[in-house]
Amino acid sequence: VTTALAWCAIVCGVASAGCTVALALRRLALARQERRRAEAEARLRPLAVMLVEGEVPDASTLEAGDAEILAGVLARYSRWLTGDARSHVARFFEREGGVDAEMRALGDRRAWRRATAAYTLGDMASTRAAPALVAALDDHARAVRAAAARSLGRLGAADAAEPLVLALVEGRVPRAVAGQALLAIGPNALPRLAELVDHDDATVRASVIELIGLLGDAAAAAFLLERLRDASAEVRAKAARALGRLAADEAAAGLRAALRDRIPFVRVSAAHALGMVGDRDSVGDLLRVARADAVPDVAQAASGAVGRIAPDLLLRAATVPDAGPHVHEAADLLELRA
Amino acid sequence: MTVQERVVPLVLVADDDPDIRALVTFRLEKAGYDVVQAADGEEALQLARERTPDLAVLDVMMPRLTGDEVTRQIRADEGTSAIPVILLTARVQEADVARGFEAGADDYIKKPFSPQELRARVQAILGRR
Repeated sequence: VTTALAWCAIVCGVASAGCTVALALRRLALARQERRRAEAEARLRPLAVMLVEGEVPDASTLEAGDAEILAGVLARYSRWLTGDARSHVARFFEREGGVDAEMRALGDRRAWRRATAAYTLGDMASTRAAPALVAALDDHARAVRAAAARSLGRLGAADAAEPLVLALVEGRVPRAVAGQALLAIGPNALPRLAELVDHDDATVRASVIELIGLLGDAAAAAFLLERLRDASAEVRAKAARALGRLAADEAAAGLRAALRDRIPFVRVSAAHALGMVGDRDSVGDLLRVARADAVPDVAQAASGAVGRIAPDLLLRAATVPDAGPHVHEAADLLELRA
Repeated sequence: MTVQERVVPLVLVADDDPDIRALVTFRLEKAGYDVVQAADGEEALQLARERTPDLAVLDVMMPRLTGDEVTRQIRADEGTSAIPVILLTARVQEADVARGFEAGADDYIKKPFSPQELRARVQAILGRR
């Protein structure tokens, strides 16, 4: 038994030493690989810069490894650049066949390869890939759908606004990823989003209105105002918030009416929005709500809005005996901040 | 060589990302400027003091010293206080931009950026001097 145990110990010791040596060698190999890559990047960076600047150096003689590293550097550049420089990156990948290769890879049977292709296409900056990426929003793998959404945002593909909103609402793409992509597309997405404010699905309308509030300007106020009378309370609340964010003066009357909405969270949103619009004519209505609304959250939001619009009027209102606890609280907060 | 003796304007480019540094340097050299490069905030400050460039293009998020802090120290030093500073920033919140101007920056460019726009801003500032 003793001998067997001794042999076991020896075998374990040798195996453990072997593993340690293997790990150390692996680490060395990785470090060497990393160093070689960094050296190759430094060597190829001037070539990448020339390509970004629209010059066409001869890149056809590059070895396969170098071509891949050059593509990686250019893909990084596309993340940091706009304008002509970004177009030059796109043209390079189109000319060298990179875009076509990655678009073909979107049909690969392995999900990780499709996801990599969807991600890479965003960095290649070619809008030619947008339709294929829109189709990839229906891929059965979530990672592929998320990568496609991210890349559509990177490409600023305005035509993808509607499919992105639907993917967001249907939960096919993580909300943060789809939202970020739509924000990356920016104001160019507004015309497409405006077409969706009358969508049959209230969840779509609510998401679209929220995005318009983030991307739009006061010109979007007209169709948001109509949504203050939407059948869905969620949509009415989002419309009020969006109008507040856009600080649209013409929204004040509609928002004052929304202070009488039968759903409390719509009234809260309307009060907040009036505070952001800064309409002094609304102070009377807000004070009435602050004193009389039975829902504390609504009264609190109305008091806060008055403090934001006209601190002097809030302080004066707080001196009236029946001002109510929420007006007093908001006035106290004002004085504390002062 | 002092600013007065220099024929070609000297621009300090500081960014910890070698890709951005190489691109900005290429673009400015092509536009006819001399460029010195720094890979972090401390090196940028040291070069600003030693070389007194005609303009500094500083990334905001740099290791060791941020672009805001480098700008503040450039402004505080009598020898470098007149150097115009352009901040290159991926942070586009208004508060971040305001912080850069409070530190003493003359202009800012947000990433992603267009190299043509950067050159135009550099030319505009150097043209005013």
